[in-house]
Amino acid sequence: METKLKESGLDSATLLEALRKMHLIRLFEEKAESLYALGKIHGTMHLSIGQEASAVGSCLALQPDDYILSTHRGHGHCIGKGAEPKLMMAEFFGKEVGYCRGRGGSMHIADVAGGNLGANGIVAGGIPLSTGVGLSIQMQQQDKVCLTFFGDGAANEGAFHESLNLAAIWDLPVVYICENNQYGMSMSVERACAVQRIAQRAAAYDIPGMTVDGNDLFAVYGAVKAAVDRARTGDGPMLIESVTYRWRGHSKSDRQRYRSRDEVKEWMEKDPIARLEKALLSAEIVSEADLEQVANAARKTIEDSVAFAEAAADPDPASILEGVYA
Amino acid sequence: MLKQRETAGAREDSAETRELTYAQAIREALQLAMNRDERVFMLGEDIGVYGGAFGVSDGLIDQFGAERIRDTPISEAAIAGAAIGSAMTGMRPIAEIQFMDFITLSMEQLVLQGAKIRFMFGGKATVPLVLRTPAGSGTGAAAQHSESLEAWFVHVPGLKVVMPSTPYDAKGLLLAAIEDDNPVIFVEHKLLYRTKGHVPEGYYTVPLSQSDIKREGTDLSVIATSIMVPRAIEAAEILAKKGIELEVVDPRTLKPYDATIATQSVRKTGKALVVHEAPKTGGFGAEVVAELVAGDAFDYLDAPVRRLAGLDVPIPYNRELERAAVPQVEDIVREARALVEGVY
Amino acid sequence: MAIPIIMPKFSMTQEAATVVQWLVAEGDSVEKGDLLMEVETDKITMDVEAMDAGVLRGLTVKAGDVVPVTEVIGYIVPDGETWEESAEALKAESVARAKATPVAQRMAKANMVDIGSVPSSNGQRITRRDVEAFLQTPVNGNDVAAESDKLRATPAARRIAREREVDLAQISGSGPKGRIQANDVAAFVLPTVQVEAEPAVNVVPFGRMRHTIAERMTQNYQEIPHITFTISADMTATLELRQRINAHAERDGSARISVTAVLAKVCGWALQRHPLVNASWHENGIEMHDTANIGVAVALEDGLIVPVVHDAGRKGLSAIAAQVNELTEKARFGRLQPAEVQGGTFTISNLGMFGIDQFTAIINAPQSAILAVGRTKKEAVVIDDAVEIRPMMTMTLSADHRIIDGAVAARFLHDIVQAIEQPDIMLW
Repeated sequence: METKLKESGLDSATLLEALRKMHLIRLFEEKAESLYALGKIHGTMHLSIGQEASAVGSCLALQPDDYILSTHRGHGHCIGKGAEPKLMMAEFFGKEVGYCRGRGGSMHIADVAGGNLGANGIVAGGIPLSTGVGLSIQMQQQDKVCLTFFGDGAANEGAFHESLNLAAIWDLPVVYICENNQYGMSMSVERACAVQRIAQRAAAYDIPGMTVDGNDLFAVYGAVKAAVDRARTGDGPMLIESVTYRWRGHSKSDRQRYRSRDEVKEWMEKDPIARLEKALLSAEIVSEADLEQVANAARKTIEDSVAFAEAAADPDPASILEGVYA
Repeated sequence: MLKQRETAGAREDSAETRELTYAQAIREALQLAMNRDERVFMLGEDIGVYGGAFGVSDGLIDQFGAERIRDTPISEAAIAGAAIGSAMTGMRPIAEIQFMDFITLSMEQLVLQGAKIRFMFGGKATVPLVLRTPAGSGTGAAAQHSESLEAWFVHVPGLKVVMPSTPYDAKGLLLAAIEDDNPVIFVEHKLLYRTKGHVPEGYYTVPLSQSDIKREGTDLSVIATSIMVPRAIEAAEILAKKGIELEVVDPRTLKPYDATIATQSVRKTGKALVVHEAPKTGGFGAEVVAELVAGDAFDYLDAPVRRLAGLDVPIPYNRELERAAVPQVEDIVREARALVEGVY
Repeated sequence: MAIPIIMPKFSMTQEAATVVQWLVAEGDSVEKGDLLMEVETDKITMDVEAMDAGVLRGLTVKAGDVVPVTEVIGYIVPDGETWEESAEALKAESVARAKATPVAQRMAKANMVDIGSVPSSNGQRITRRDVEAFLQTPVNGNDVAAESDKLRATPAARRIAREREVDLAQISGSGPKGRIQANDVAAFVLPTVQVEAEPAVNVVPFGRMRHTIAERMTQNYQEIPHITFTISADMTATLELRQRINAHAERDGSARISVTAVLAKVCGWALQRHPLVNASWHENGIEMHDTANIGVAVALEDGLIVPVVHDAGRKGLSAIAAQVNELTEKARFGRLQPAEVQGGTFTISNLGMFGIDQFTAIINAPQSAILAVGRTKKEAVVIDDAVEIRPMMTMTLSADHRIIDGAVAARFLHDIVQAIEQPDIMLW
């Protein structure tokens, strides 16, 4: 891992910021989970704890005005792209100051101004949209790239195939990142996919496909950086399979009968945050104290975000129809 | 950044008109919109050198190039998604779905993404998209190429639905739809493509959500959409010889639907017949009737409000069966007469 | 067997007529074609003629009654037959096989009723009302009875009844299943206005014509943006022309021409040159009329009627004069046919004969203009820097300003004046 760290060319400030974001994601989700248990927030949520390196490593390869499209398991992507946790938390609480004015909730958090065109409640729902975003960038001759996240389940939707084909024939600047977290709800990748590796499907569209260790920030960053650079120079789309694992169930109502505790435990030992911390320590970029400070700062940010969200005002019911039409 | 040129007035620039077909009027609107605003482009199946399945985009590729008249693979979900995604990020796409039947393959993107992105994101995204699609029966193409699915989209908050019945309206409404910052489903009728009418030269818009009285009359209001408008007018001419004067009201925009004109008309005539091609059950006509009965027209109704619509049947292949499946002129004459003469 | 007298239908949209007066009485003998009665519709007064010869019997309506069209209002008993015999025969016919009106047949079919099982109330024909009565007759259960107890009225009928404070139970409905419709309430309300008028405030009841005039005048004045233009014309040449033509008419017996006839010709000619004045406003555009059909307002004792000279622009003066005279005559005696008051595209209202100098008139929609003509009187006018006495006539054009701009009206009036002052210009 140290080698990859050096090869990544990332400076220590950037690496500490990446670590901070990974902490934010995990703490945000853990906090959301406990608030849910306390009955303070409602609905459902899909947690990406264990997948932090995939989200942060991918977004690390982007410029601020690049776009991302995300999934129902999108908190990590959102924070990775630079969203403010307090505005996300306010959205979780359904408050007017939330990113979507309380209309979207966990599953639809978007930060349009920040280039995040939204989490998506539909499996593969964002993939055709990202193809359109790529088309838009190309037609407006912008120096941007669109990065779209989706899960292993989405790769079996027709929209995935239509969109990759379209992006390939038009050389669109889109990077397709399949976060293979092993299960589409309860259906394992082995049972759901004819191919062994989802990245193999790139061959069908004659675009590069690549599989990386999604729990290794440097592996993810390296692959996505190469794909983004390639897309930005007009060489077209790429498919990256980021192999990772969700520690939690699919959603709040998942009894997890489809996998064993041992399997979960095994993957928890591949904790992406611990791996990054270890790499930073052994490369002598940070001290134990530094790590402690980063984690504490992140904890404080999340605590503040809850206080902010709880104090914020609910939307005025009279404004319910706002935003249906422009 | 692509920029929009200066905006013309909402009404027509010049009074110069000539006869154009409905298809030509649509093509002219596409040309004007693309000349005026570089962000406007088209994508769809066979719209380039082929000129579109019904020839609507014929020649546009020579004028605007393959970048802006963009042929796509047969991928309706991707067409819709590409249109929505580009609309969210600064373009003003016009997608064509070759037959309205095929829109079923785009439904997720249109209904779950395009229609509600703006709302879900708290009003912080805009989806200025037009999806043009030919609908309707009468071509002998049978059940999978003859659908009239407008009511599905009318039921989706966030979408607008427009159905022009004349070349004049087709051009003005299409330009208004392109100017609009919302996703607009623009439903063209295949049998109307060859119909002719006066169309002013130059840029003009017909405002969305504004019904139009296509023929004035005193005895019965016929509220008809799309192909049923010319059929209702034909029926009116037949009945005029018998002293019955029908008023023909064309909603033009089905969503958001403004019932004001229909209400005013029914307040005048006291009677209403609602006509559309799509199957009756759950059809847009039910909405028209409900607006009349629940609204300001109620106290002026002097007869039951009737609906004349397609039968609840897939469109059959056999020519006579196909005719029988949807309202024809003689059906409108019969129903209108029964209502006016009180024999029902 | 007795022949029924039917209240005739004079126009397609007409639903009823008011009996003005019987010209004959019960027991009178009539020949085929004799006038039986005068009736009034909202537009005109019409005569009802005898369709056969015989003796009048069983007259059921009286002056003032509002009678639905096609209703039987009496019988003509043929010579050689007595009313009693006829009545017997009618009854027998009814029992044997009554004939049904087309409406009754359709209604019976729609309600799945055998028309043969419906009794005829007048013994002659099964009418819509007979079918309705039959449908409401309880068969063998409470459902039908309960149904028939419920008062059927359209929302429009209920609204009018509410507004006019009328009890719907007093009104019989002419709609399907006896449903009370707007017209039923309106017909019921009209006569009661007359009856209930309080003598103290001297409310003069108005008839259908006044009602129609009032509605149209109000609507036209409220809905059309009127603009008026006044101009005077030297009548010297026109009066000379009229004198010459009338001297000729005296000799060959053709029609004498009036100033109104000349104006109808002049306007017809000018309208062909100014199509916007000969047009109608519609929400979706302006309808341009092919021919100039000039309505000539004729004052009646109790109102006003406007017979129409069709295509006046292309007709000769003599033909126009003959038609104006004929229509005026007919209007005065209430003999105008529906077609003779319809299709006007422009109206002339001449009050010169009443000594009016000038006035403005209300446009008669869907027309776009009306010319109000005053009297011709001698005035001192300046011609070539000298004062001369000339017969001058002042006209005021009311124009629909949505269609007609000021300059359009001015050019139109200029042509009118030129044609009046120099009639031969119309020959160019």
